[in-house]
Amino acid sequence: MGLKDDKIVPGREERVLACMAHGGCASGMGKQDKVCLKNNERSFSQAGLCQLLPTLGMLLTLPETAVVVHGAIGCGSTGFGMNTAIRLHHLLRGNPNAKDSLWFCTNLDESDVVHGGEQRLEETILTVAEKYAPKSIIVLQTCTPSIIGDDLVGVIEKVRPQIDIPLLYSHCEGFKTKVWATGYDVAFYAIVHGFIEKDKEGPPKRKAPRKPEDRPVVNVINLASMGKPDEIELERLLNALGIDVVIGPNFADRETVRRMTQADLTVSVCPTHDDYLVDYLHKEYGIPFVLKDMPIGLANTRSWLLDIARHFGLEEKALKLVEEEEAKARRAVERYLPALKGVRVFLSAGEFRAVVTGGLFQELGMEIVGLRSYHHDDFGTEFYQQLVAAQKGKDFPVDIANFQPFELVNLLKKVDPDLFCGHVYDNGWAAKLGYPTITIFRIFDHYVGYRGFYEVAKKAVRNLRNSAFNKKLSQNVGEAYRPDWYAKSPFAYIKSDAVEPLPDPATAAA
Amino acid sequence: MSTHIERPRYQCALGGALVTINAIERAVAIVHSAPGCAASADGAATVGGGYWGTTLTDGRATPSTNLIEREVIFGGEERLAEQIAATIDVVDADLYAVITGCMTDIIGDDVRAVVSEFRKQGKPVIVAETGGFKGDSTVGADFIWESIISQYLSKTAVKDPLKVNLFGFVPAQDVFWRGNLLELKRLLARLGVTANTFLTPFDKIEDLKGAADASLNIVFSDVHGVKPAKLFEELHGTPFVVEPLPIGPTAAEAFLRRTVERLNLPQELLDTVLAEEKAHYYGFVSPFTDLFVDQDFQRFGVVVGNANYSYAVTRFIADDLGWIPYFVAVTDLLNEEQQAKVLKRFSDIDETLRPKVIFETDTDRITERLKEELAREEDPYGTPISPAYVIGSNLDRPLAAEIKAGFFGISYPITNRIVTDQYYVGFRGGLRLITDVVSALVANR
Repeated sequence: MGLKDDKIVPGREERVLACMAHGGCASGMGKQDKVCLKNNERSFSQAGLCQLLPTLGMLLTLPETAVVVHGAIGCGSTGFGMNTAIRLHHLLRGNPNAKDSLWFCTNLDESDVVHGGEQRLEETILTVAEKYAPKSIIVLQTCTPSIIGDDLVGVIEKVRPQIDIPLLYSHCEGFKTKVWATGYDVAFYAIVHGFIEKDKEGPPKRKAPRKPEDRPVVNVINLASMGKPDEIELERLLNALGIDVVIGPNFADRETVRRMTQADLTVSVCPTHDDYLVDYLHKEYGIPFVLKDMPIGLANTRSWLLDIARHFGLEEKALKLVEEEEAKARRAVERYLPALKGVRVFLSAGEFRAVVTGGLFQELGMEIVGLRSYHHDDFGTEFYQQLVAAQKGKDFPVDIANFQPFELVNLLKKVDPDLFCGHVYDNGWAAKLGYPTITIFRIFDHYVGYRGFYEVAKKAVRNLRNSAFNKKLSQNVGEAYRPDWYAKSPFAYIKSDAVEPLPDPATAAA
Repeated sequence: MSTHIERPRYQCALGGALVTINAIERAVAIVHSAPGCAASADGAATVGGGYWGTTLTDGRATPSTNLIEREVIFGGEERLAEQIAATIDVVDADLYAVITGCMTDIIGDDVRAVVSEFRKQGKPVIVAETGGFKGDSTVGADFIWESIISQYLSKTAVKDPLKVNLFGFVPAQDVFWRGNLLELKRLLARLGVTANTFLTPFDKIEDLKGAADASLNIVFSDVHGVKPAKLFEELHGTPFVVEPLPIGPTAAEAFLRRTVERLNLPQELLDTVLAEEKAHYYGFVSPFTDLFVDQDFQRFGVVVGNANYSYAVTRFIADDLGWIPYFVAVTDLLNEEQQAKVLKRFSDIDETLRPKVIFETDTDRITERLKEELAREEDPYGTPISPAYVIGSNLDRPLAAEIKAGFFGISYPITNRIVTDQYYVGFRGGLRLITDVVSALVANR
């Protein structure tokens, strides 16, 4: 199965055996029984996200779209968290008339829970199409209509012939998966089925193979976490090799998404984020892919560029570009190296981001003393080994957690880093403990490629230079947890499920 | 029968209960629901509430059972019991409030039974069933208050004649709830009255536990917080009154006079307080009179907000600013009875200054209805209500731009500034509001 044929997007704990509860060390990553790992739970847990947020975050970026959240009011009001960020994204892309996103909630109430919400959904889609004339409509199905048995696909296919514009849909119920990164797959599914598979013009035809004299076209799959500054850097580098770039599907319109089926290569910026879509483009359109690097840090940027160049016989040109760019970047960061030498850093983000950014810090002479990643799957395993090797075998603790700040603060107090580098909503916990912090990505700043290498170094030095805000804060905040929590292991509340590992097929058949 | 809503200006019932617990120091919520609810509701409330942000036990630190499919099929009660016990172990709090989401209410987990096991052991755990589909934030806030009142408050026979409880505030729904409550507390203290506010960072949970010794509950809303107040009276004998939010000197004076009468307070004290507070307001306003009158800063007012603010702001602009209220959109989800109560308030306004009031949840429909209203009047050269001013939420900025009106944001959601201790109630709140509103008119100079 895959994106095209899946009726429902499988949860990542099933599709890639992703785990969100594990505590151990970097050198041990990948050595656990994968089935046991993905079944781990917590006996005390704190709020995670659900699929709805990452799905909504990606789909709201599609220009001039209207999003219909089918569910109770709460799910429909989450748009505010993203609205401002998306409007700013649009401004960064040079659109001064960037408006607030448009989203609706079908507002299921107690009566609807009893009688079903399909009719309300149908009316809402038709009203929105007629009254607001968006370029596309996206429907998200949440927990409530799912449990009461609303047939989302039935309603969608009934309405589709009645409206002119593309109709995208997604099942993103929170209770269906422990791993909210499944939401990315759900967004890809909606985009592909809405703009390609079920589009009124049908899927575009497969393109004839590229002739050697044609300029190669490469899809770069962007992230909601990657802002325009980072896109500009990647485009700059690929254009320098004579490669044209199609960036999507975030912020892309229908035409751009359809154009992605005509590329010569698909490149991911984050393997764990993109494999579901990349696999579709490969299976259905024969587009080869590079799905192993995130271009953060010099070594990773080098392999990202060379892996792409190799496909088009441009390796020599790429090598020359890399040498030039690395020399320039190294010269530029020289002045920051003394301040960063030996600085002990703790990282926290989604799987890939945390790990590759660790690599970047190591290139700047820093040491990793701890890492928290939101989930773990095989895409990340070898990177942990590389990180340990790069600091001469010095190991560090790893917390795999869908947030769970109680584990983070416990671990931080034990590890006592010099610098914390985390995702939004992570840094606050470290700041309240007095640690200097920098954000691991922001859509306004540079993080990828050579510009990113320099800017991250500069940012780290700047924040290390004066962390008075955080220090004074830590002297004036209270404590949430009982003192004896800190005496325990940060992983004390992770428990392995009682489910037996799957039997070996050979013995089962015998 | 509900219909769809465009960009809801509130969260669900769970969200309202959550923000209420989050605002109470030493209280922590235990959310029994699917993974996303706590973080999403919290995010929507805190970002739209002027970046209220997180304290120690909310946001992504909110204890939550994070139920998935297995528990949907087999039930989540065991998981809840495990989570409550673990939360009490790890989190240092004085009140643990279990609240539920859509899922758990639909599958029928007997959360009361689970919680009662803990209550039998003397643990300070309460429960409210706040499934999101039961209503908006204000409905959930009412649910959790009812649970606090019936499951947490100590019983007491003795009432303190100089103590009152202030209700009717839903954190983030009133973006300025902290500052507003602190100012009301200060004003009442000037009259010798101790006011419990519960929802500011400086309130003590002991005051919540002992709140039944108040001799009067004041609910600053016609529609929100009224049901819990009725329950309070039933269970603890404290009567309640409903007051409009007193924004500005005229409303504040009326509020203090009524309070003095209800609580039998000394008239001379009231006179002194009124004189001093009014002197403070006019001490600052009087000097900028030149600007105000020479630049003709009178406006036709368009107010967009919830039930509490829409009336309170309309009164202020009419009674103190001397503006002409033209159009008011009340954005709450209200039933017919509640709408009638809100309309009755507006009928207190003199006919000549009474605005058109509509009940509308959708931003785009508000613009449409306003335009319909404008089309009724003749103005061959422009808009009948120019010069106009919109006081609403950040979602209403495009409306203000369209009718070329001034704009100031006071309703949820506010995302273009941070809100810490700003407030708009009372005399000094009125001063802040006139300062902010008129400042917007000189912002391009």
